[in-house]
This record gives sequence, structure tokens and C-alpha cells, in this order.
Amino acid sequence: MDGIPLLFKYTVPDKLYEKFWEGLKKGEIYASRCKKCGSLYFPPQRDCNKCMSSDMEWVKLKEEGELMTFSIVKQKPQGFESFPDYTVAIVRNLDGVNLMCWVKGEPKVGKKVKLTTDGQRLICEVIE
Amino acid sequence: MNRKVAVIGVGNSKFGKRDDVTIRELAWEAVKEALEDAGLTQKDINITVIGSTAYRGTEIYPAPPVSEYCGFVGKSPIRVEAACATGSSAAFTAINLIASGLADIVMAIGVDKMTEVDTATSLAIGGRGGNYYWEFQLYGTTFPTYYALYATRHMAVFGTTEEDMALASVKAHKYASLNEKAHFRNRITVEDVLKSRVISWPIKLLDSSPISDGSAAVIFASEEKVKELKIDTPIWVKGIGYSSDTSYIAARGEWIGLEAARDAAVKAYKMAKVSPMDIEYATVHDCFSIAEIMAYEDLGFVDKGKGAELLREGQTEKDGRVAVNLFGGLKAKGHPLGATGLSMIYEITKQLREEAGPVQHSFKRYLALTHNVGGTGHYAYVMIFNR
Repeated sequence: MDGIPLLFKYTVPDKLYEKFWEGLKKGEIYASRCKKCGSLYFPPQRDCNKCMSSDMEWVKLKEEGELMTFSIVKQKPQGFESFPDYTVAIVRNLDGVNLMCWVKGEPKVGKKVKLTTDGQRLICEVIE
Repeated sequence: MNRKVAVIGVGNSKFGKRDDVTIRELAWEAVKEALEDAGLTQKDINITVIGSTAYRGTEIYPAPPVSEYCGFVGKSPIRVEAACATGSSAAFTAINLIASGLADIVMAIGVDKMTEVDTATSLAIGGRGGNYYWEFQLYGTTFPTYYALYATRHMAVFGTTEEDMALASVKAHKYASLNEKAHFRNRITVEDVLKSRVISWPIKLLDSSPISDGSAAVIFASEEKVKELKIDTPIWVKGIGYSSDTSYIAARGEWIGLEAARDAAVKAYKMAKVSPMDIEYATVHDCFSIAEIMAYEDLGFVDKGKGAELLREGQTEKDGRVAVNLFGGLKAKGHPLGATGLSMIYEITKQLREEAGPVQHSFKRYLALTHNVGGTGHYAYVMIFNR
């Protein structure tokens, strides 16, 4: 027999890292940095767990990077069923920060990429 | 540890799509077997620790109904969770309760009913197995995707191939065909794996462990109780290693092995005062075929990048240098998250007692190990046992 469905409806904080979400709309990527000890955080953090300070600043990340690894998602999860197959990758940028993104172009480990956004998420464009 | 701890009873349910039972009856199958195996009743158990991830089942707080059904009311103050390593987290807690002196006989029960939701929902829950806010919300990662990122990198750095990975699945199904409790009993070929549907490239359906229902239970006791109960073949806990890693997978800096598993292994070997070369039998966390290859390396059975070679040479087969997953592994025995870690201890116990029937490995030193990974190395437990 059917069980009683359980529908979870979530509200996710969007003011918390507003600069990051604003950056996404402009094709820019922001990380946070502790003003006291200089630790760089991506994903951004509001609090520095190294020196316990919460005095942070936003830093724009460099767009040049290298494709470290990737996977092509064929079987999609709930919430992404309507997307065509997408490729998830990890990119290391020139600041030495590793970021998850979707790939535009033909992915290959070691390829140079340009980090940008599609307004909603990070994208890396493979440079031929 | 302040006090020595031994395994004195083990139980394991039939794994698979178990729509014939709810989580309570499913747990009972393992609990009953473990009690009978130890020659004990519920009144002998001081505390139960119940491990369940529960998110894919209707009982999202499964410990009370399981405890009530199995006759442990008043003895079940805790449920634990560490994703796919939930079973080991239950064992870890149970062992510590005894080592600390708080209890003398503790049962760890691991159970999950994962097939009550559809696959798309299950993938969406698994996709949250990293960092929801910075991964799933933006990129629609599935759980196979996380391991696929490791597989792609391992292939690029070490030349590991899709055929190499397929060998892990072929081995798993071969041994599961001899295990009547396994989810899958069919044998498969490398070609079957390569031709199976792509889930998250390079991971294909037959590179992947199934979504399973199942339970396992392990009774631990203090040395004093082992003597008092005159247990014939106690299986002693010699070493416990544990670790964890970042939730955001990109933050790790390298994707060729699981740092948490390596760290856990080092700790376990140190505590047990043994080296990787002493281990004769291992259950490794082969949730995907690449995971088995990385496990060989992370556990130090071979140098980094040589995992596929060990597999190709057949050294992890029965009576090989170090036998691995002769009950069929997560891949074919099945992978009910809460049960898996305890099912590994069930397997090790059967092997070390020489009760493993057609898959009995030949031991010299009677040293075996469990390697149980939660998430994509978000948690790791390595435990070493001997007879």
C-alpha cells in the first residue's frame, strides 16, 4: 500500500552570503577572507575557525583555472530531472582555490578553463 | 582502550528489496540471530546502540520502534548516524561503552529500509551527502557523481581503466553468488559492466552498489564477560581508527584516494601494532568499483596507483595475499547504510571463526580488518580484529 507522502519545503538563507549570490549574476566569483589572519575560505565562511575572528572581507577570485576532474550526470536527482545531461567538475584556479562548477565545452583532466557563471551557478569554459 | 572488548555474537538479515517487512521485523532478523549466536537473551544486554540513516524510510526515527519490537525497551538511549559508515559508528559507540567501563555487554544494531522511496528521491537524498548549500543546490550532484569525480581523476593520474574498475564488480558478484543473504546472486562479466547504463560517467549501473534494505547486529562484551560466559572463539577488537574530511568535496585538494580512510588506517594499525602486510582478510567499502581500488591503496596493501594491479593479479581473491569481500561486498551483497559496517564485522567474525563455508579464507595469523567509509570519505572507520 502507499505510505503517507512527506513533502519537505525548504527556505534557504539568501542574505547570508549576498555578495556571492550577487557576483553570480555578474559572472564574478567571491570567496571570503579573514581580515585578522588572512585565511581564505571557499565556500565562503562568515566566521574564521582558525583565529576565531568574524571580521571577514570579500575577495574576487581569479577566473583562470585548471580542470582537475569531472563527471557527466546522466541519471538525475529529484529537482534536476528537466535538465539535459550536465557535467560537474572541480577546477583549481590561479588563487589555488578549488571550486565545484558545471562545464561548458569538452571536458578533459588538465585542460585550462575560464571560470564564469550562468547567473545561477559557477561555470568553467574549456579553452581549446 | 581501558578494557579489552570482543565480539561474541553476530547476526545478518537477508539483504535486498525487502518489501515483505517493515524496519522492525527487518532488524529482528539480525537481532535474533546475534542473540542465538552468543547464547544470550535480551536481559543480558546492558545497552543497545541503533545505527540507521533512516532518511529513505517511513520511520525517520527508527530506534524506538526497532527497540520495542526486539524487546529492548529501557535499553536503547541512542541512535547514531555517519552516512554509509553508520554501522561502524554504532560499533564504535558500543565498543567505547564497554572499554570505558559503563557497560559489559552491548549490542550494536544497524538497519535501514532504503527502498521505500523511488530512485529519483533516493538520488536527491544521496546528493545531499556532501554539502547541500554549496553542492547539491547549485550543481545537482548525485552520490555516484562524488565517487565519479575520484574515478575520473584516478584514471587520469594513474591510467586506471573502466575495465579495471569492472573487475571489482565481477569479483563481488562471483562471491555473492555463494552468499544466500546477498542482494544479488547473479554472476556478471566485464562486458556486462561496460555495457550497463551510465549513471554519472565514468560510473555505470554495474559499477554501483544497489539501494538495499537490510540489518546486521553485533554483540560486544568485556574480557571479564567473555571469561564468565565461557565464549569459545571471541573475536577481539585490536585496533580502531577513525577520521573525517571536508563536506565540500572540491576543498580537499586531491581526488585520487580518501584521506580520511588513510588517516583511519594509520591509527588502526598503530593501535593494533600491525602493518598492512599482516592483514589476511579485509572487508572494504566498495560502494562503487573505484572505491575498492582506492581502498587497497588507502589501506596500504599497495602503493598509491597500484590498486588496479592488485585486483588484476587476483591477490584479493579467496586464499590470495589479502582476501577482500568474499561475501560479495557492498556491490553485490548489498548496501543498507545502517547495516553495512556491522555486516562487515559479521563477515570478519564468520571468517575468523572459520564458519564461512564455501568462501572460507585460509588464515595463518587470524588478522582481519573492516574499512567502512561514510559519504565520500566524509567519515571513515578502520577496525582490526583477531581471534
